[in-house]
This record gives sequence, C-alpha cells and structure tokens, in this order.
Amino acid sequence: MKQLNLKLFFQLLILLLSGWSVSSHAQEIPKPMNPPRLVNDFAGIFSEEQKQDLEIILRAYNDSTSTQIYVVTVNDLQGYPASDFAFKLGEQWKIGQKGKNNGAVVLIKPKAGNSRGDLYIATGYGLEEKLTDARCGRIMDQYMIPYFRQSDYYSGTKSGVEVMIKYLSGQFKAEKKGDKMNTGGVIAFVILIILAIIIFSNIGKNGRNNGNSGRGGGGMFIPPIFGGGGRRSGNDDFGGFGGFGGGGGGSFGGGGGGRSW
Amino acid sequence: MKTSFKLTLLVALFAAIFFSSCSYNTMVEKQEATSSQWAQVQNAYQRRADLIPNLVATVKGYAKHEEGTLTAVIEARAKATQITIDPTKLTEENIQKYQQAQGQLGAALGRLMMVKESYPDLKANQNFMALQDELTGTENRIAVERNKFNTVVQDYNQYIRKFPQVIWAGWFGFSKKGYFEADAGAKNAPKVEF
Repeated sequence: MKQLNLKLFFQLLILLLSGWSVSSHAQEIPKPMNPPRLVNDFAGIFSEEQKQDLEIILRAYNDSTSTQIYVVTVNDLQGYPASDFAFKLGEQWKIGQKGKNNGAVVLIKPKAGNSRGDLYIATGYGLEEKLTDARCGRIMDQYMIPYFRQSDYYSGTKSGVEVMIKYLSGQFKAEKKGDKMNTGGVIAFVILIILAIIIFSNIGKNGRNNGNSGRGGGGMFIPPIFGGGGRRSGNDDFGGFGGFGGGGGGSFGGGGGGRSW
Repeated sequence: MKTSFKLTLLVALFAAIFFSSCSYNTMVEKQEATSSQWAQVQNAYQRRADLIPNLVATVKGYAKHEEGTLTAVIEARAKATQITIDPTKLTEENIQKYQQAQGQLGAALGRLMMVKESYPDLKANQNFMALQDELTGTENRIAVERNKFNTVVQDYNQYIRKFPQVIWAGWFGFSKKGYFEADAGAKNAPKVEF
C-alpha cells in the first residue's frame, strides 16, 4: 500500500510540475505585478507618490463601477505593434469583469533615445460604446500627447484617465462585491466542512470494511479539495486586505486607438 | 417482449456512452465556437462597411478631383457586402472568396486614405480625424477577430482530425474549416516610387 501511495504521489507531482512549466512559459507579455494593482509601472516613469495618486483614482473608479482601467508602462514592446501588445496584455491579464468586458489598458512606452514613444488605449468590448475609437484619439491628442512630448508622463496620464472616466461615467455600476464574496466564502466553507466530515466518516467505514484499498482512495481525494479551499480563502483575504483582486475575466476585441510621438 | 426492451435499453445506454464520452458533445461545442467567432468576424467587417458612406461623404467635400478613388471604394464596398457566408459552410474556398472581396475593399480604402496627403484642409477636419480613428480601430478589430477565429478553428480542426474522433467526425458532418490567410497583397513588399 505504501508503494502504491508513493507511486501516486510521484504521478501527481509530475502532473503538477508539467502543468506549472506550461503555465509559466506562456508568452513574452509581462505578468501583472504582485500584489495586483492598476498602475503597473514596468518602465519606472512615475515616482512613488505619482503611482499612488493614480492608483487611488483608478481604484476608486474600479470600486464604484467595477470598470478596470489599467495603466501599464513598458520599455520594450517585445517586437509587437503597440496595438497588439495592448490587446494581448488585456486578454492575458483578463482585465475587466467577465460578461461586462469593461476593462481598458492605457499602454505607455516612453520615448527613449532614438526610439519613438508609443501610447495606446485599448478598450474592452463593453467600453467601445462610450469610449469610441474617435474619442480615444481625441483624448490622446488633446490631453495626453502634449504632456508626453515634454516627458511629463504623470500629468498626461492623469488628465487622460480623468477624461476617460468622464466619458465612461454612468455606464456601469459595481455590484456589492464585498458582501457577495463574503457570503460565498461562508457557504463554500460550510460545504467544505460537510464534505470533509463525509469523506472522513467514509474513510473510517472503508477502513473497517475493506481495509487498505479504501483508505488509499480516500487519501488521494482529500488533497485537491483542500488545495482548492485553501486557495479560495486566500483570495478572499487578499480582497479584504489589498482591496483589489486583479483582472476579472474581461475580453478585448480591438477597440481603441494609438499615437506615437 | 422483455428481451427487446432489454435490447433498446442496451442500445440507449450504448448511445448515451457514445455521445457523451466519445467526444460528440465536444465536437458540437467546438463547432459552435467557430460559428459564434465567425459572427464576430463578420461584425467587424460590417462595421467597416458601415463607416464607408460617412467617410466618402466627408472626403468628397474636400477632394473633388478624386472621383476615381471614391467610386472604386464604393464599388468595392458593394461587392464585399454581397458576399456573406453561412456559418455552417466555413470551407477554405468560401473563406478565401470572402477574404478576397474584403481585401479589395481594404486596398481601395487604403488608396482613399492616401488622398488626404494632398488636401491639408481635409487632414485638419475634425470629422475626418474622428473617422480616421474609427477606421484604424475597425481594422484593428478585424485583425483581432480574425486572429481569434483562426485560433478557434485550429482548435476545432485539430480535435476532429485526432484519433479517435477522426473515425466518426465525418459521419455527423463535422468537416474541416478554413483559416484566414495573410492577405495576398501583404506578400509583396510595398514599392516606393519617387
């Protein structure tokens, strides 16, 4: 029986490891910063206070409307056009809420040396109606690029984001997310406990009736269930602490516009 | 009587197992995914077609000497909007035809957008600038939706051609679907003439 369990353990381990290597090897698009945040300044063009200021604006908007506007800065577009990079990033980070697709990416590649600066606003399916491509173009021309030309990335981003919010205001309302998640967590916890009781009592029975084979089966089943539970409660904790849980499953269809300077 | 009942039960059980575990349902799901993604592709193209009358009207006001380019766009649009494909007939041939018609419209539009360089008033027109942004966004949408379509079709094609599905996929009419290829014009490097 010990041999069997050992074998199973190794098989599970291999499965886990292979899954891990696949998921960590996905693309050249950067991963979202951890803990999740709306201002992902990979290029380092904002100071700490500026980052915080932008984060507060965006976080407040996310909390009241569930609309996620991500500001992402990178030094290297990995050979992609800015548009492709922004859409791929939006899809991979799952920006916006599932079903509403109310996410937007403000992608900034600062001008450095001879290379041009690139700015791209990508809008999720759900935002295309209010934040049309033409409006994105006007926002960039009037509120962002003039600042960016003077390397004032903070003022440009801030005024651009504020105008985006103005256009979008009234389109989406946030559901009472905190309450819902809490009750969901409680229910999940109760179910978990019941499941655990059932499984443990079964193991006890099997142990008496069938001996070792029953126990082996029970032992195999517990870890995934507990793993899932642990992760879930972890997420909830995070939501309570950081106030932001990352992308919500939104999708992008090519809306938005870009400028270079 | 009793044996025949048992037989039907057996057949029903066999059918249930066959349809649920032998990938029939998965094939249906994947096929449905290609159909719905195709609808998105057509949406994106339709969006471009809808923009054109507005664009043509705006350009006409500024560039009166470009009759040829404008009529070329209108004609290409008429041709392109005539071709639609039933999502159940997404064969390679059909998609190629569709892509060709849309490609011609794209080329005609490209020429129209070149016209702006000789009309500074047009270039500065607010309405035209907005339309230009919309058009660029629409081209992006087309590219994104085409990409997604190819991914979904690849998934479907791969699935129905794998063993064991390959044996019975044909019985139920699950056939290989076509992809969007790179545009024919994209193969030739653009010519620069002075």
